[in-house]
Amino acid sequence: MPAYNFKSMQVVPPAKDFIDIVLSKTQRQTPTVVHNGWAIQRIRQFYMRKVKFTAQSWNEKLTQILDDFPKVEDIHPFYSDLLNVLYDKDHYKLALGQLNTARNLIDKLSQDYVRLLKYGDSLYRCKELKRAAMGRMCTLMKGQDASLKYLEQVRQHMSRLPGIDPNARSLLLCGYPNVGKSSMMNILTRADVEVQPYAFTTKSLYVGHMDYRYMRWQVLDTPGILDRPLEERNTIEMQSITALAHLRCAVLYLVDVSEQCGYSLAQQAALFHSIKPLFANKPLLVVVNKTDVRPLEALTPEEQALVQGMAEEAQRISNGGAGAAGAEGEASSLLTMSTLTEEGVMAVKQTACDRLLSFRVELKVAGKRIADVLNRMHVAQPKNRDPNARPPVIPPSVAAARAAAAAAGGKAQRTRKLEKELQEEGGGAGVYSADLRKHYDLKDPAWRYDIMPEIIDGHNVADFIDPDIDAKLAELEREEEQMEAAHQAEMAGVMDTDELTEEQAADLAAIRARKKQIVAGHRLKKASASNRPVMPAKHNAGKLQAAKLRAQLGGMGIDTSAAEARLRERSQSRGRKRSRSEAPGGDGDAEMADAEGTTPKRIHSSKSRAMSRGRSASLAAPSPGRGIKDAGMANKAVKLADKAQRKMNKMAKVGEADRVIQSKMPKHLFSGKRGKGKTDRR
Amino acid sequence: MPQNEHIELHRKRHGRQLNYEEKKRKKEAREVHKRSEYARKALGLKGKLFAKKRHQEKALLKKTIAMHEEKEQKHKADDGAPQNAVPAYLLERDQVDRAKVLSNTIKQKRKEKAGKWEVPLPKVRPVAEDEMFKVLKSGKRMKKSWKRMITKVTFVGPGFTRKPPKYERFIRPTGLRMNKAHVTHPELKATFCLDVLGVKKNPNGAMYSSLGVITKGTIIEVNVSELGLVTPGGKVVWGKYAQVTNNPENDGCINAVLLV
Repeated sequence: MPAYNFKSMQVVPPAKDFIDIVLSKTQRQTPTVVHNGWAIQRIRQFYMRKVKFTAQSWNEKLTQILDDFPKVEDIHPFYSDLLNVLYDKDHYKLALGQLNTARNLIDKLSQDYVRLLKYGDSLYRCKELKRAAMGRMCTLMKGQDASLKYLEQVRQHMSRLPGIDPNARSLLLCGYPNVGKSSMMNILTRADVEVQPYAFTTKSLYVGHMDYRYMRWQVLDTPGILDRPLEERNTIEMQSITALAHLRCAVLYLVDVSEQCGYSLAQQAALFHSIKPLFANKPLLVVVNKTDVRPLEALTPEEQALVQGMAEEAQRISNGGAGAAGAEGEASSLLTMSTLTEEGVMAVKQTACDRLLSFRVELKVAGKRIADVLNRMHVAQPKNRDPNARPPVIPPSVAAARAAAAAAGGKAQRTRKLEKELQEEGGGAGVYSADLRKHYDLKDPAWRYDIMPEIIDGHNVADFIDPDIDAKLAELEREEEQMEAAHQAEMAGVMDTDELTEEQAADLAAIRARKKQIVAGHRLKKASASNRPVMPAKHNAGKLQAAKLRAQLGGMGIDTSAAEARLRERSQSRGRKRSRSEAPGGDGDAEMADAEGTTPKRIHSSKSRAMSRGRSASLAAPSPGRGIKDAGMANKAVKLADKAQRKMNKMAKVGEADRVIQSKMPKHLFSGKRGKGKTDRR
Repeated sequence: MPQNEHIELHRKRHGRQLNYEEKKRKKEAREVHKRSEYARKALGLKGKLFAKKRHQEKALLKKTIAMHEEKEQKHKADDGAPQNAVPAYLLERDQVDRAKVLSNTIKQKRKEKAGKWEVPLPKVRPVAEDEMFKVLKSGKRMKKSWKRMITKVTFVGPGFTRKPPKYERFIRPTGLRMNKAHVTHPELKATFCLDVLGVKKNPNGAMYSSLGVITKGTIIEVNVSELGLVTPGGKVVWGKYAQVTNNPENDGCINAVLLV
């Protein structure tokens, strides 16, 4: 069954936008550059592709539109009539038909131009042909502007139509304007329809939903109908007529008994009789509304007769046109209600729903397809095994209690309060909170209200508590005390000798000096590391290893000659020895001296905080003419320059100071043949 | 209000935002600035399109203003007829001018006698032979080159059959054959899609005329029976001449002006 939801239709752009969309799509999705020296074949292909692509995109878009819009013949007659009433079927079909024609024309056009392009013998001609093809396609679509705009409006309106399911259980409210259809709708459902004291407040169909007997029901509110020939009815009325004609629903014909709507009872009865053919084959109820103003009994005999006449007619129609009015006896088709006081509204709803339900069941049973279902159905009816009676067993105590209760007179015997009663006492629903722990089945009932820790993954805190934790803690504390005492005793012995011997003091000083040295060296390394290319260790290995060894081990007072010899032996090249390469410099301490000696002139920033802190004031003012105000600014300039340079330096990239060879193979020296002359001139 | 118009419903129930009018006014006032900013920024094709659109809008605006101004102006009835009573000897003065119209047919006959027409395109660019023809190689070794293919649009009559290949010097490819033309009637200012009856004259030479080549400036004969033109004698005109005004091989269609 198709779902009647027209919300998913895509937007129909107006012709101008449509053209922009398609042309820009072509521009984006096909190649755009024709290169020099392309063979004519390739140029032709290039333009053919453009033409074909454009036609294809037009085709896709138009097909999308044509598929989106429902075909008037294919949808439920209710919707097809509604479309006719709202948008004029002829106009609708014409617009779609024109788009269809345009689609075919565009296809034909692209075929023609592709054929012509096959004979294109120059870039210019191909280009002109492509241009003409696209131009003609666009002109064609420009002519469709009116239908596109119309379709867009239709689409917008259709997407906002109420989602009426023509096959669902539904109640339909109809009658003269202002008789209380919408207010009844508001009582039955949550549709929140506008109710105003003037005629034709409701100008279109409204749908609301309600529950009855655990089923979903639609309630349709229709615009009021006036009593006049079908040809004279306007669009608003025609919507109700369409709904009445095509939906299989329970019809509630509302009658305003107070005549406040501006139409007399006679007029309302006349309308009822004139639209009678529309009620055929539907359960029909005549609902007399506004009885709070004027009850049914207060009518004059003539008016009574009118109402009764309508009711009898309704009864007759509901019974399938047969004259058996009194067959169903008490099930009268006349109901009274007041939407103001909401009196009788629920009764109307129930009657209508029940009627419709039984009607639908009857219809299904009468139908052909019921046989398929009945064949498959089997209701088991167990037979009696023997004639013995097997009454339920009631214990004597219970029987006695019941007898006592019966003697005392029913409910007075009940001692326990119901939860519902407790709720009423405790402040009603929403205020009272039920006591869930009351009936916990525990070993000791006193535990019921104990605070219980939260349970996660089947454990609570209690599961993690060691039962003899106290004993363990005491043990630990004892141990700690013992250790502390021992330590105190030891310290008491040591602290006595406070002064160091001279030798020890010297050692300590040496250690500290060495530490400082290491720190300074490290800082230097770090400072330079931030801004200088670092030689990887493997390149550095051969030359400096010996010196490093000497400096390190020698500094510790170890004789390094053996180690050095070994190193040299290993690193020695094969073949003849070269005297110069042998000794890697006598003064291994040179770096060291440099590191700890005079502070180098500041030309680069460093990461270490000490370098940047608080010296600016004591430094001499920078030389004039550099555009630098003071030392702070100079500092900043240095920093900035370094920052700009850092990455380049770090990666050992080529900088502006490096020697550059612009081109290693200058064209004028390598192209063409060499003449008789020099090799470097051609 | 239909059921699902949620926005309108809300507006009806609760009204608009309090500063709605103010915002709207400001937005409108800002609009010109935004537009000018866009106009300054837009480059290339977008700029061109924008300028064109804006130009049209402005022209329309000016026209409308002019029309409104005209409404207030008072000016004389311009059909030349004096408002007041006219003496008898002046009554025919205007009609004399209009009455002097030479019959169209006489004109046509005179022209035909002279053998030339006053055509809308008096001069056309000459088309060289190597542009008109493409040389086709033929023969077993593909070294004979006496065959030519016409690269322009051609018209061939309905009963045309090709000659056997041996005798077919000029090939008129089917893809480039056309038998419809969009003919504009210069006085009616209307265009009709008419059948071509034949090629009367190609300005590039008699050979092309006989081959039925249609280039810019070619005189073709079209079937105007649809137009319902009538000769002074009361017969329906069937064929009429028209001059081609475009390059059909570039545009994929023939546009022509009816010679009247």
